[in-house]
Amino acid sequence: MILLRLLTLPYARKHLLRTLLTLTGIVLGVAVFVGMHTANQNVTQAFRRTVDRIAGTAQLQISAGETGFPEDVLEKVQANPNVSAAAPVIEAVLDTGVSGQGSLLILGVDMLGDRSLREYEVEGSNEDAIDDPLVFLAQPDSIMLSETYATRNNINRNTAITLNTMQGPKQFKVRGIMKTSGLASAFGGNVAVMDIYAAQLVFGKGRTFDRIDVGVKAGIEPDTTRKELESALGPGYQVEAPSTRAGHFDLITKGLATTINISSLFALLIGVFIIYNSFSIAITQRRAEIGILRAIGASERQVLWLFVGESAVAGVIGSAIGIAMGLLLARGVAPVLSEMVRQLYSSHQVVDDVVASPELIAIAMAIGVAASLVGGFLPARNAARVDPVKALQKGRYQIMSEGENRARSIAAVTLIAIAAACLWLGTSNNMFYAGYATVIASLVLLSPALAQFLAKAIRPLWKLLRPVEGVLAADSLIQAPRRTSATVSALMLSLALAVGFSGIAGAIHSSVLTWMDTTLNPDLFITPTQTITNRDFRFPAELEQQIAAIPGVAEAQPVRSSRMMIKGVPALGIAVPIAAVNRRIKPAVVEGNLEEMIRLGSEGKGIIISDSLANIRNIHKGEVVELDSPGGRISLPVLGTTVDFSDQQGSFLIEKTLYEKYWQDTSVNVFRVYLKPGASTEAVKENILAQLGRNRRMFVFTNASLREFILTATAQWFGLTYVQLAVALLVAVLGIVNTLTVSISDRRRELGILQAVGGLRGQVRRTIWLEAVAIGLIGLILGLAMGAVTLYYNVDMLRRDMAGLRLEYQYPFTFAIALFPVILGCAFLASIWPAETAVRRSLVESLEYE
Amino acid sequence: MNKLITLLLVTTALHAQDVRGIIEEVQRRSHTDSQRYEGTLQVIDNKERVTTKRWTYQRIGSFGESKAVLKFIEPAEVKGIALLIFNQKDRSSDQWMWTPSLQRDRRIAMQDRSTRFFGTDFSFEDLEERDVDQFDYKLLGEEPLNGQACWKIESRPRKTKSSQYTHSHVWVRKDIYAFVQIEGFKNQTLVRRIQYSNFEKIKNIWTAKKFEVLDAARKSRTVMQLEKLEYNIPTKQEDFTLQSLRRSE
Repeated sequence: MILLRLLTLPYARKHLLRTLLTLTGIVLGVAVFVGMHTANQNVTQAFRRTVDRIAGTAQLQISAGETGFPEDVLEKVQANPNVSAAAPVIEAVLDTGVSGQGSLLILGVDMLGDRSLREYEVEGSNEDAIDDPLVFLAQPDSIMLSETYATRNNINRNTAITLNTMQGPKQFKVRGIMKTSGLASAFGGNVAVMDIYAAQLVFGKGRTFDRIDVGVKAGIEPDTTRKELESALGPGYQVEAPSTRAGHFDLITKGLATTINISSLFALLIGVFIIYNSFSIAITQRRAEIGILRAIGASERQVLWLFVGESAVAGVIGSAIGIAMGLLLARGVAPVLSEMVRQLYSSHQVVDDVVASPELIAIAMAIGVAASLVGGFLPARNAARVDPVKALQKGRYQIMSEGENRARSIAAVTLIAIAAACLWLGTSNNMFYAGYATVIASLVLLSPALAQFLAKAIRPLWKLLRPVEGVLAADSLIQAPRRTSATVSALMLSLALAVGFSGIAGAIHSSVLTWMDTTLNPDLFITPTQTITNRDFRFPAELEQQIAAIPGVAEAQPVRSSRMMIKGVPALGIAVPIAAVNRRIKPAVVEGNLEEMIRLGSEGKGIIISDSLANIRNIHKGEVVELDSPGGRISLPVLGTTVDFSDQQGSFLIEKTLYEKYWQDTSVNVFRVYLKPGASTEAVKENILAQLGRNRRMFVFTNASLREFILTATAQWFGLTYVQLAVALLVAVLGIVNTLTVSISDRRRELGILQAVGGLRGQVRRTIWLEAVAIGLIGLILGLAMGAVTLYYNVDMLRRDMAGLRLEYQYPFTFAIALFPVILGCAFLASIWPAETAVRRSLVESLEYE
Repeated sequence: MNKLITLLLVTTALHAQDVRGIIEEVQRRSHTDSQRYEGTLQVIDNKERVTTKRWTYQRIGSFGESKAVLKFIEPAEVKGIALLIFNQKDRSSDQWMWTPSLQRDRRIAMQDRSTRFFGTDFSFEDLEERDVDQFDYKLLGEEPLNGQACWKIESRPRKTKSSQYTHSHVWVRKDIYAFVQIEGFKNQTLVRRIQYSNFEKIKNIWTAKKFEVLDAARKSRTVMQLEKLEYNIPTKQEDFTLQSLRRSE
């Protein structure tokens, strides 16, 4: 402690900027870890909170997937003697159209019995939420708003608000205000309640309910009642506790969580290298100090603990700053993540406030300190082993021994062998991820040797560019690989991740484009929602004939998609007239015979599954799957597999008439509309909206606008690529500044002699510039090579664990080429300040030993 | 000792029989084949704000087997809302609500009977007929109310009767055999008090023309006054169906 106070603190004060750079490594890793995990946790918790608050005191919830179920199910539930309350619910989100207010969660409930489960008034309050319950029930335009929403928008009782319903924009009268607690605080307070039968009209849900919330009589075990209800209702119904429903959310966002974990891991690993690099500098600069310490009797152990202690303190401070920055990052990321999850999965949640869990903060602190200790240990050990005599000499310090290099190489080759074994022998996910981790570790271990090899390789080129400065720069790298290895490794890791993401983004983009070309080829898409993934609204089946009668329309194909359980997990069931749809599209077949699939599928004798579903759930042609519907359980064989990107959880095609029979649902989510040759897309679109959209909620997308929407949804991977690229650039700049600082300090004498024998300042500058660009180039080459490996694993990870997507391995050459000017430019910029420091150094000081 | 126990048992049984007799007499005296009235309903909340509604009521049949239709006629916002009640001898009644603006009927679940009847202080259960066979009775004594001699009787719902109340206290006027007050309890807590007043003899039946209900927890009151009350009028069974409610629009 005394040493820390006497030696470390003055050094840190003197080199404040470098101290901050040291902390940056930890801050970066911890911030990404805390930020991404906090955002993910908060979105998940927001969903759970919404489920809990909406559920009220309900102990069980009955649903039949997204399809809803006929009203008469309610009586069967109410007939159970252990049920104390059974309240039907329709739940949907409407865009309010109010700027800055986003969506409004509408809950359709039967106000007669719903209060047994949900409180609309504050406990103990004398104020009724609804002025007159009879008027509320009598008038279908009645709506009750949360006080939060009403206050935010200056809405009072008895004022009218306009909502875009299935019958077009409609005015609703505010006949109640809910106090902000419980239900009213769900969904960020953007909650409204209306009568369930009015909600059926508003959302075009016919005579169906989405859910029944159930209260169980006191003294009765809810699980007993759950089993009784399951047995009474049959296999098409899910009877579960609200908490279990929230569990499905974890399942569907699992892929996202895996991406976040990998990004955080890479960020931390990069942080470790930055720490390693920074500590190496510090030790180089304080070499004389260490020599004196040793000379006056400090033991190796004391020196070791001094630097380990420093790294621990740096870890604590860096982690604390990282946690604070991570929370800021989470605030920015959470709404984006929430919106992304809502768009992709149609789940309703609003992140009210971003809060990090104490466990996550503790883990982040532990990880930050551990990463700092790992990064600082090797330099600390080297410092402890410094010979006091040599330490007080001037000269080169950063020479890696042959033995050390050989040991690393042997370890790396061993790890590569293990990774190869994992790849070829293991089919399990654990083996796969172990292989991934091993191959990364081996490449990191190999990086100093590879960097040295590359430095030797570029020496002739550098010599060609600048005979003196180029050789000096290249030699500096060749002779001291340890000095550059950390920066090169960090740059390699971050670029590898960027390349991996870019490759995935590119592969998804091109696969989706191919899929859209072959399958998503109608001229127009008519939907009741602004986003095609939102299935809260549905059209009646009879609209098909009306659309077909519009001049210019050749054919209208109804599509009813809804999330259904297949092998115990949700997938998107797409009910279409299979024969009609397949007359117009050319799906890419992965397994099976297309003609046979269409023939049997259109006869309702099986389902056609997406390749992604086949991969995620390991389902193949010929396997019989059971689908639970409100009309009972149906067993259908898998007729084949095609490429379909309709849903990240996988999808399957089922004949619409079969679906209508078992799900008792004739409604439609989307109409695929093909036009007659020569018909104008815009003219037909306008005509449809004019004739059919006046009194109905209706959106007509052209093929181009739908493509744009889908490509935007797939752009998340591009977003990750750019974030990772930004990290790579930061790493490049920080790492190169650090490395050059050490290099200049290390080569003080050499650079001094160069100037003493007539070397110009410009030559010194160019030497340092070229050294920086060489570091950037080596890091870039290794990063691009390692990117090829990470992309291979990412492609497989996506297939195995995240979305079941079988993507082609496409190395992002364009991205890789574009990286050259960016990284080399950054490397050059990073070298300007160290170069100026070097040329302004006193020649006398540099040559004092001579 | 044995004789004493036997005497006590016999006395208790006779006593219970007497109490049941009182209730049966109330039921017998108020028996009619049909009924019709117009009612004015005033809900007075704890801040003394008053909302007023009017309805028509028609009944066919008598205790335990009657059917009733209650239809709101004022204000305009609620006009046409109707409640169809099928009273059952051996269990709780079946109830449906008709909403003309939605063209929908909805069944009111057994579990929802304890909820307030459309914002009034009545619950749906309070609209059911209290058939003598659905309760067990105990005479608590004699207690005058509003200057009138009354029997105070405790009634407890039998197992077949689903009720929000664990027990009720019923005051029956001795001179005219009519209910004058009912207090519904959940365990020992008073939930609701219904007071009957403005008695008038219509077609030889003593009829209360004013009901006042107090919700003990909310401290709000509902006053209902009956007008144009008629008994034994010609009515048809087919007027008491969901189809007839739909047709009436």
